[in-house]
Order: sequence, then C-alpha cells, then structure tokens
Amino acid sequence: MHPAPSIILFTVLSGFGFGLISIIGLLQFFNQISVVNIIIFSLIGLFFSTVGLISSFFHLANKKNAIKSMSQWQTSWLSREAISSIFCLSIVVGNIGWVFVQNLYINEVGIVLFLLSLFTIFTTSMIYAQLKTVPSWNNILTPALFIFAALAGGSILLMDYASLVLLLIFGVLQVLFWYIADQSFIYKETSVGTALGFSKNEDIRAFDVAHTNRNYLLNEMVYKVARKHAIKIRYISFFAAFVFPMSLTLIFPGNFSVSVLIIASHLVGIYFSRWLFFAEAKHSVGFYYN
Amino acid sequence: MTKLPKCEDKKLGLLIDLDTCVGCHGCVVSCKEWNSSGDEKQLSDINSHQKDPVGTFLNRVHSYERENSSTNETETFYFPRSCLHCEDAPCVTVCPTGASFKREEDGIVLVNEDDCMGCGLCAWACPYGARELDLVSGVMKKCTLCVDRIYNEEIPPEDRVPVCVKSCPTGARAFGDFNDPNSDVSKKVKERGGVDLMPEMQTKPVNKYLLPRIKSKSSSVSSGLGVEEETNATGLLGWVDRALSKL
Repeated sequence: MHPAPSIILFTVLSGFGFGLISIIGLLQFFNQISVVNIIIFSLIGLFFSTVGLISSFFHLANKKNAIKSMSQWQTSWLSREAISSIFCLSIVVGNIGWVFVQNLYINEVGIVLFLLSLFTIFTTSMIYAQLKTVPSWNNILTPALFIFAALAGGSILLMDYASLVLLLIFGVLQVLFWYIADQSFIYKETSVGTALGFSKNEDIRAFDVAHTNRNYLLNEMVYKVARKHAIKIRYISFFAAFVFPMSLTLIFPGNFSVSVLIIASHLVGIYFSRWLFFAEAKHSVGFYYN
Repeated sequence: MTKLPKCEDKKLGLLIDLDTCVGCHGCVVSCKEWNSSGDEKQLSDINSHQKDPVGTFLNRVHSYERENSSTNETETFYFPRSCLHCEDAPCVTVCPTGASFKREEDGIVLVNEDDCMGCGLCAWACPYGARELDLVSGVMKKCTLCVDRIYNEEIPPEDRVPVCVKSCPTGARAFGDFNDPNSDVSKKVKERGGVDLMPEMQTKPVNKYLLPRIKSKSSSVSSGLGVEEETNATGLLGWVDRALSKL
C-alpha cells in the first residue's frame, strides 16, 4: 500500500496524543496527578491529536465533504473514528476548563477520558484491521500494536517504571507483527488463480499489461519496496521506538528533560514503523497485475 | 446509507465469458466514452496527449497465459475486470460519508458523488480493484452498470443494456437478473458453471465468469497442416533436398 505521509503522520501523532490523554485520564482517576500537570499535559495531548487529525484531512481528495464522515457510524470504522475523536477532544477541552477554573478535578472524568481515548485509538486501528484485502493488517495484532504504541508513547512523560512495562509490551507486539506479516500463510487462500475464478494452485501468469501506464490502483495499492531496505528500516525503527527509549528510561528514570528526548526518538521510530506498515502491506488487487 | 440491503427483488449484473472474449478492449473504450460524455459526467484523464498519461477507467482488460495440465501447453485468455456489484459489498460498509450505497431495488452499487470526500477507503476495501479515484474531480468512480441506460426510456429498448454489453463484438458479455432462475444469464451460469472471483473474500459477487473451456492438443492440428519440416523426402524432392544440403 502507498505510504502517504499525511496518513502516517495522522496515525503517529494522533496515536501519541490520544495515548497521552488516556494516561492522564488513568492518573486522574486514581488521584495520581497534580492539577497543573493535567492542564499542561492535556494541552500537549490536545495539540498532537489535533495536528494528527488535520494531517488526515490533507489526505482527502474532496475536502469539502469531510464533515459528512461523521454520519455512517453504524457500519464504518472511519466514521466511528471521526465521531469518537471529536467527542473525546471535546471532553479534554471541558476537563481542562473545569480544572483551570475550579483548581480541582473530578476523578470520574478521568476514567471516561481513559476509555474514550483508548476507543479512539482502537477505531483508528480498525480502519486498517477490518480490510480482508490486506491480510497482514487483517488480524488482532493491528489494534494491539496501535494501542500499545500509543500507550507506551503517552506514558513516557508521566510514568517511569510503568512506562517500561508498556514499552516492553509494545516491543514484543511490534516484533510479532513483523514476524506474522512475513509469513506466507497469511495469503493462503488467495492467489492469481482464485482472483480469476480458477482453483488456488492454477499456473497462471500475466503475459501483457492491461494498460500501458501506471494508474490509481497501481500507485495506491501495488506499492513495491526493496526488501533489503525494509529490513534496515525495521532495525532503525525498532532501535528508535523501543531500544533507545527503554535504555534511557532505565538509566534516567523520572528525568523530565531526558523524557522529551525519549519521546522524540520514540515518535521517529513509530513513524518508520508506520511507513513499513503501509509500504510492506500487500493488497489482493496485486494478483491481477502479478 | 451504508447498511447493505437484502435485494430480494432483482440482482442485476454481468455474465462474462472468458472463452469468447478476444481481448479487443472494445468494452473499455465504449465504457470510457459513455461515462465521459454528457454535461455532468466526468471520467478524467491527466496528460492525455502528453508523456505519462493517467486516466480513470471503470473497466480494464487483462491478458494471461495458463498452463493446461492435460496437454502441457500454454493457453492465453483475456480477462475483463470491473465492479461485480457484490451482495456483501465491503466497499459500501466502510464508507464514512454514506456516498457509497447498494440499491435495494436491483442491487446496483453506486457512489453519490455529492457526498464523497475522496478518502479512498472503499478502493482499499475492494478485493478486485474495481474502484478508481478520479484525480481531477476528487471523487470515487466505479461501474454504474449503466444505470443511465438500462432504465432510460428515451433510447430504443434494444439499447437499454450496459454499453460494454452492447459494444462487445463477440457477445462475450451478457446482462441480466441473476435472481431470476429463468433469465438467460442464470440459465448460462447453470449450464456452464459460472464462477465467483475470490470467493474466499466472502463478498458474494453478483457478476459471474465463465472460464475458458479445455482445448484439445494443438500439435495434432499443426502436423495435419504440414507445417512441420519434411525430413524423409524421396524421389525428385529428395534429390533436390540432398543436393541443396550439400551446397
């Protein structure tokens, strides 16, 4: 699949923003955060989620109809994502306002923020995980990876040892996701044979092109990436998103300025991870162009 | 609305015979022509008369070669690919704006361009690559089963079929109601074993394909025509052959 920068930035930045908001919500519920920190970190979370959502807006080819994307929540994960994110961010704004004016916070609002932001990250992941056409996305690891990447990123500023646990879960899920995506069994049912109505093991090859130039389908869904670079990018991503944050958190637990460095590295790593998430994903339409 | 209707009345679609298709791209051209002509219709091209032209099409014809296991020979066939108007159309349910919909009265899957925001998710959800985003108007395009022809009382009754069916010179494409067991398309599907594309995707396509029949061994035909070299010639011809070989 085509790794569009607007979509990658959307999943990385809004994932981090909503991850941070969910951690704030959790701490607020358990009385583990100060009033000042709620305001400061909620504003940071709000900033990242909003920038992420604006970035996704730039992916649209017909932006004037974007508001209509909130209408089909009964069947569409993308619609649910739009509604859930706007709803969650409204509560964040309300919470900041309340805390600022009253100088105290309501614990119960915390659990609402926690669940709603987690649900928002889940809906983002389901936009991709729902697609049977892309087998490497169409499994439970996609939502698991999106959620724990967001929680790990969001916890770096506000937690120390709990953050290590979340990072560790994220690292394991990331390796597992790449491992499964590499297995040929995920394509076990579809082949050029089934694409053309024959049996699965039919020996069929394309002998001429259907059109002489590239088209939307090839640009969007038959994105080819050199395997040797993909492996290198996996190492870079894993180091920046997992190894580096993990080691620095162990060496400097609870050091705020180090946390900022950790987050920068983590987000760069997640950016590469999402680039691979798209670039390495194979869509079934590719069988027609085999 | 992106909820899929039952379509208990009619299931309109195409039956494509890969045994008859000669890969002329006539359906591609006539589809492009019909769907780009008119006041509001647009199926745009970019750089159409320059280097690297890119265009939006609702129908593409691919060419394949296949090993025939019974004769050990390679056979070629052509494969027109367009929207299959699936009963469980994944492109409809993923649509966030409600622009994609399936008609309850005849099962045709359409895009309401006034609602489409051009996110492209429906094209990702379609296993068959039946949807293409129009890069000029920014909205999703797909086969309409020529909904503006098949019910059009302004044109003669014999023209009220999809333009790809009308234009096919070999009659490889047929249009009809797959819900009616007595329709021509249903009878042909039963008689010749019409198949679904990628049944494992559970989209339940309405359009069906008839696969190429198994052909007889071609070498038996070619040797009968005397195409192969004569090696054991006798008499005058044999003398000429031997004399020329010595030169």
